[in-house]
Amino acid sequence: MLDWKEIVRQKLAGLALQPEEKREVLEELAEHLEETYQSLLRQGISEQSATQRALSEVSDWNDLRRKIDSARKKENSMTDRVKQFWLPSVVTLVLSMGLLALIQIFGPKPWLFGWNGSSRWPFVAPALMVYVPWLLSLPLIGAMGAYLSNRAGGSQRAVFSSIVFPVLPYLALFLVAVPVALIVDDHVAHNVMFSALFVGLFAWVIFPAAALLAGGLPAQFFLSRRLDSRRVAGG
Amino acid sequence: MIGPGIKRGTAELAVLSVLESGALHGYEMARRIEQQTKGALRFTLAALYPMLYRMEQRGWIRGAWETSNNGRRKRCYRLTAAGKKKLSPLRKEWAELFEALRRLTKVNHA
Repeated sequence: MLDWKEIVRQKLAGLALQPEEKREVLEELAEHLEETYQSLLRQGISEQSATQRALSEVSDWNDLRRKIDSARKKENSMTDRVKQFWLPSVVTLVLSMGLLALIQIFGPKPWLFGWNGSSRWPFVAPALMVYVPWLLSLPLIGAMGAYLSNRAGGSQRAVFSSIVFPVLPYLALFLVAVPVALIVDDHVAHNVMFSALFVGLFAWVIFPAAALLAGGLPAQFFLSRRLDSRRVAGG
Repeated sequence: MIGPGIKRGTAELAVLSVLESGALHGYEMARRIEQQTKGALRFTLAALYPMLYRMEQRGWIRGAWETSNNGRRKRCYRLTAAGKKKLSPLRKEWAELFEALRRLTKVNHA
């Protein structure tokens, strides 16, 4: 009687998996070959022919070993995450921040919208500072984030996160750092103006996010349609 | 006979579709696909398992060892919620492709 487990073990000797995982793969493939072999015998095929036909299920064992190694590696999901989310996010963040720094140094002065305090707002409210050239460039950066994530096969969530990633540090600052500072730092608490937080939220989170999405969402829509058609046609 | 390029594209859809009706182990899956497509799609061991492992890594299917009536251990695959979610747009894409090809060949024959 043929020992399919031993045959598969020899053929896939270099499988680079953890021992338990390797044992499971070898057992599963051996079971498949055994069933193929038994099925052929039931059809009246000789043992020798049945063995050969079962083994012909795999034309290149080295190629199969490589494919199994590649498919079973846990790192693959990490690599996908890097390609689909982290890489596009870092690119959009670096471009966005780099461009802002350049505009602050070399570009035109920002638009300032200020207003005086009133009885309802006893403090002097801060000015809303908007770097218009920066805001105008953000749709392109958002579109680039969508393109990179889409190209890597990112889910809708990954694409969306890549688009808005440049504003997330600011959002984190407003949601976490400022309340914490209010609680723990007397100096900040005595000087902070809530209207400043509100204005800052618009200037550094809401407006930039809207600009990024204005470019990213249409790009995602068109690119995902195009990539889906390619995937269907090319497999 | 359908060519290899198109076959590659249909492979995931075929596996997800055949698992929709219930859990199957690899050999059963290959036979079921071959029978239901009247031999147009045939998965060898070398083609089937790397794809199953890849789909499992993506979370579309989940494999678990089960013992059959004759005492043999088999790894049976089931569709996950993510797999079910993936199946619907895949079907739609393929339906669109076949419809487009149908329109195209109709024009060419006219």
